[in-house]
Amino acid sequence: MTEEQTSKGVNRRTFLQLLAAIPAVGAVAAFLAPFLRYLKPNLEPGLGVPAGKLPPNLAEGDLPKGEPLPIARVEELREPWSSKFFVFTQKYPQYTPEQAKAATVPGVAIKLPWKLPFPGYKQGQEPTDIVIFSRICPHLGCIFNYVPNWQEVTAGYGGYVPPPDRRHALLACPCHLSIYDPADRQVPGRVLSGPAPRPPRYFVYEIREGVIVVTAVEPGGIA
Amino acid sequence: MWDRLREWFSERKQKLDLFDETNVERYGNPLYILGQIVYFAWIVVVASGILLMIWYEPTTHGAYTSILRIQREIPFGWLVRGMHKYGADMLIIAITLRIYRMYFLGEYKRPNELSWMILFASLVLAMISGLTGYLLIWNQRAFWAAKVVLTVAVYLDQIPVLGNTHFGSAIAFAFLGGPAEGQGTLTRFYAIHFGISVLLLVLVEVYFIFTRRKRFTVSPGVLLLLILMLVATSWIFPAEMGRRADPNRTPLPILSDWYFLALYQYVKYTPPLWAGLGPGLLIGYGMLVPFLDRSKGRRPSERPFFTVVGIMALSYFLVFTALILFNIAVIGRDPHIVLLITAFTLTLGFVLEIRYRRKVRAAEAAAPRPAPRPVPAARPAASPGA
Repeated sequence: MTEEQTSKGVNRRTFLQLLAAIPAVGAVAAFLAPFLRYLKPNLEPGLGVPAGKLPPNLAEGDLPKGEPLPIARVEELREPWSSKFFVFTQKYPQYTPEQAKAATVPGVAIKLPWKLPFPGYKQGQEPTDIVIFSRICPHLGCIFNYVPNWQEVTAGYGGYVPPPDRRHALLACPCHLSIYDPADRQVPGRVLSGPAPRPPRYFVYEIREGVIVVTAVEPGGIA
Repeated sequence: MWDRLREWFSERKQKLDLFDETNVERYGNPLYILGQIVYFAWIVVVASGILLMIWYEPTTHGAYTSILRIQREIPFGWLVRGMHKYGADMLIIAITLRIYRMYFLGEYKRPNELSWMILFASLVLAMISGLTGYLLIWNQRAFWAAKVVLTVAVYLDQIPVLGNTHFGSAIAFAFLGGPAEGQGTLTRFYAIHFGISVLLLVLVEVYFIFTRRKRFTVSPGVLLLLILMLVATSWIFPAEMGRRADPNRTPLPILSDWYFLALYQYVKYTPPLWAGLGPGLLIGYGMLVPFLDRSKGRRPSERPFFTVVGIMALSYFLVFTALILFNIAVIGRDPHIVLLITAFTLTLGFVLEIRYRRKVRAAEAAAPRPAPRPVPAARPAASPGA
């Protein structure tokens, strides 16, 4: 024993012991592996994955969908900066007895004083003055607010003072003080301040006989 | 190498001290009964928790109402709930103070590395237990706190190569138990909240049986005093209920349990990936500090760098907590100030460390024959109050 240990390198006994350990470890791992299933919720993969990066095993039909939702008549949003809150219900395909689980996405529709291309309306081809955003903060999933008066943002959301050309209604999140500009001409919902990594998700909408109908929400996002 | 590791481990195992039960002769100093307070508060929390389980209903519809019933209708329900909540607070306070004691007095050094690591891990587990238990009330504060914490994990997917496995989302979904915070989350949090305590209690019982140590080495009078403190607190400040959770409305400002507040302020300042990495690095530093700190002495003045880091961590904890309580955060300005102060403090610690080492070397050179250094004992020779 002492002789074997003093010699450098792996001796025969250790080698055989290691060799014998491999199937033993394998057997234990095989026994424990099914318990990993306990951690995984009944949920399609790919939710929470950024748009365009869906894993190949996820078919188009597995994407979360919702029923088209009429939210307001166009006349209701005639005044610039008038707004309308609504809650959109998404259905996720799941292996539950009901076959589907509803998850809600609160949103806000805002009338702007100027027109801009908005990706949710005719895929940004035609400028519009109605923008509709999901109110789920893209930072950590809180529900942010539509604040009609920018001075309220300065007072209540961490002292951010917008530059003169942005002194209008803003979107502001109470959790970590991210502030968005719904009326930015290049990027509607541009992040003005705070830790948010991207603008809030947009709703896809159409106008059917004078009624604003929300049909889908920009995919991706866990919260 | 295997044998050396085993030897290292067995030596630390012999000196293992989880609840200050080997420090009996120093109980005159309240800092040395902190471990005993941890154990006692834990037993109180488990006992009251079992009583609460009888009436608690773990559903999104019934949770809040059932706790309201415990608080208002069940005889002494308010007391049991108060003991559970304030007992948990006492536990966290005692662990934290004990960590600071061990840190500043260098008690994590050989042969106490393992004790320190277990203590530090237990703080993390206690905080997880706090977070998961907090959600069980299903009120606004807890709902949004849990949502924010679970979403932080999603951003770990942004780590360059590792992120391609989407392990961050996997962690989030494992805790969420569904596409969004709901019944699945509540059930899983209930299981985790209960599981952590039960598992650790069994392990600690094994530890006491194998070491044949007494569970309570502190006098019964102290335990009675602790109980009275908990009863008085539950009586004077009944445990809060908050408002019922509303998934479509976020309150302003959102807060959490007091020991998470500093972290929340930090999350406002950083890009979301760092909101997850920062605490991870902090935990890593805490776990590895016995191996990072190679200095010989145990007194704070004998290892200036680590003392400065400890003071900085404590100050940030207090200042950030105060800032979030008063809802002060200027996102455009504060992060720069924090970074500047951190860089300055770390440099200061580094300079102090080098100056101290130079002085020691000069003193050694001046004395022709230095006295042989005594073998490090289990406990520092310095008086406990130092």
